[in-house]
Amino acid sequence: MKSKTKIHFEKNAGTYIAYVLAFLTIAAFVAFVVLAQTEEFRIVGYEAYSSLILEGIGNTIYVSIIALLGSLVLGFLLYLMSISKIKYFKALDDVFTEIIYGTPLLVLIIITTFLISPAFVDQINRTWTGIIALVVYMGPYMKNVYKSAFSSISEEQYMAMDLFGFTPYQRYRYIIIPQVIRILMPPMMNNFSLIIKGSALLNVLSYNELYYTVVVAQSKTFAFIEGYVLMWVLYLIITIPLSQLTKYIERKWSL
Amino acid sequence: MKIELKNLSHTYDVEVLHQLELVLENYKSVALIGVSGSGKSTLIRIMSGLEQPTEGEVFINDMSVKDKEYRDHVGFVFQSHNLFPHLTLKRNITLVLEKTRGIEKKEAERIAEERLTQLHLEDQMDKLPKNVSGGQAQRASLARALSVNPDIIFLDEPTSSLDPILTHEVLTAVEELKQLGKKFVFVTHVMSFVHDFADYVIYMDDGKIVEQGPPSMLDKPKTKEFQAFMNKVR
Repeated sequence: MKSKTKIHFEKNAGTYIAYVLAFLTIAAFVAFVVLAQTEEFRIVGYEAYSSLILEGIGNTIYVSIIALLGSLVLGFLLYLMSISKIKYFKALDDVFTEIIYGTPLLVLIIITTFLISPAFVDQINRTWTGIIALVVYMGPYMKNVYKSAFSSISEEQYMAMDLFGFTPYQRYRYIIIPQVIRILMPPMMNNFSLIIKGSALLNVLSYNELYYTVVVAQSKTFAFIEGYVLMWVLYLIITIPLSQLTKYIERKWSL
Repeated sequence: MKIELKNLSHTYDVEVLHQLELVLENYKSVALIGVSGSGKSTLIRIMSGLEQPTEGEVFINDMSVKDKEYRDHVGFVFQSHNLFPHLTLKRNITLVLEKTRGIEKKEAERIAEERLTQLHLEDQMDKLPKNVSGGQAQRASLARALSVNPDIIFLDEPTSSLDPILTHEVLTAVEELKQLGKKFVFVTHVMSFVHDFADYVIYMDDGKIVEQGPPSMLDKPKTKEFQAFMNKVR
């Protein structure tokens, strides 16, 4: 028992030291870059725009969550199509996925807003066309998340369900879905990070998200580089806790 | 138990079982042996009702395996444990009892605890399958199969994914269950177990029953195929 604790401690200490070293490496890199600058660094000018930028952060989180929910639905529909016995659905999913994989998000946002949406409605709402573009873009990636989650339930488990005579509802409710959610969580959260970063491109629609609000502030402060640094740090503040949470869930829920 | 195979054939892409005929009565534990691909796994799956034969009939205790209720009378343990990985050993059993047998929670828990204790898992009941050894998981799988009180338990190479020590652990548990009057049909590669445990042995090769008889037949094979098989496994 004693030696086990000791090994555990040594392993932890090793990891801890490695992380400290990694942080120091990055810090040294940052220090080198900062010290090499000849221009003055004027982050102070942004204080006046803090409420605008905070609103931007709020909007970034808002559109990202809606896009996440939307892409979860679209991804599931695509997943159902991909496993469908009807060949047309399979083909449709395949063609759609290929096109999306090859399309830059920025192009998709602009085409959705200025070409596709006007064909369907007279008065377009750019917030929504932007969100739709994000949803469409993420759909195939979410499909893959479902695919791997469902395929991880072994053939033998299905046989056991058959053998004991679980009804289809009971199978999903007590056996399949509880497992799928655990497996689905980490890759879904990774996709959520992709959505958050992708939402920065909604600035081309003049949507008030984080990137756009900082750009607005930049045009007043004229401190461009400082604005990008601020933006970078703010995105990291959103995404790093998210990925930490993902890792925690992955550890806690692994089967 | 009573086992009847009538003109049983089964085809996937190729024929894996060829016109099997068999009537067995009053045996308590029947072993199916043979090389991989001989059809023994397919046969045990058909006998347990997991798969429907493409041709012929199978009756176990005078009940056709095609009957819907047949599955309520049998238990099955697979090559690797097929416990539901997100549930504790105990919950694996209570879920089956509560949802598929309509037994109320308290009673289901009592049965689960009794079965798990019977298989010496009283200290592991609240663990997830990933946190117990392979032998323990396989025994829990056996406990779950037992919990629905089946007439016969089918074991398809229950120890093939285990090392010799865990194999011994599982086979000891099976022997204890036989003492309690449980009936078994099993596929295995462990010949010492066939010797000690089976009261009837069926040797299969190429989709046919080549030799059959009491376990003593292992010592004096009649056919060339069985002779060759025994030389390999001994």
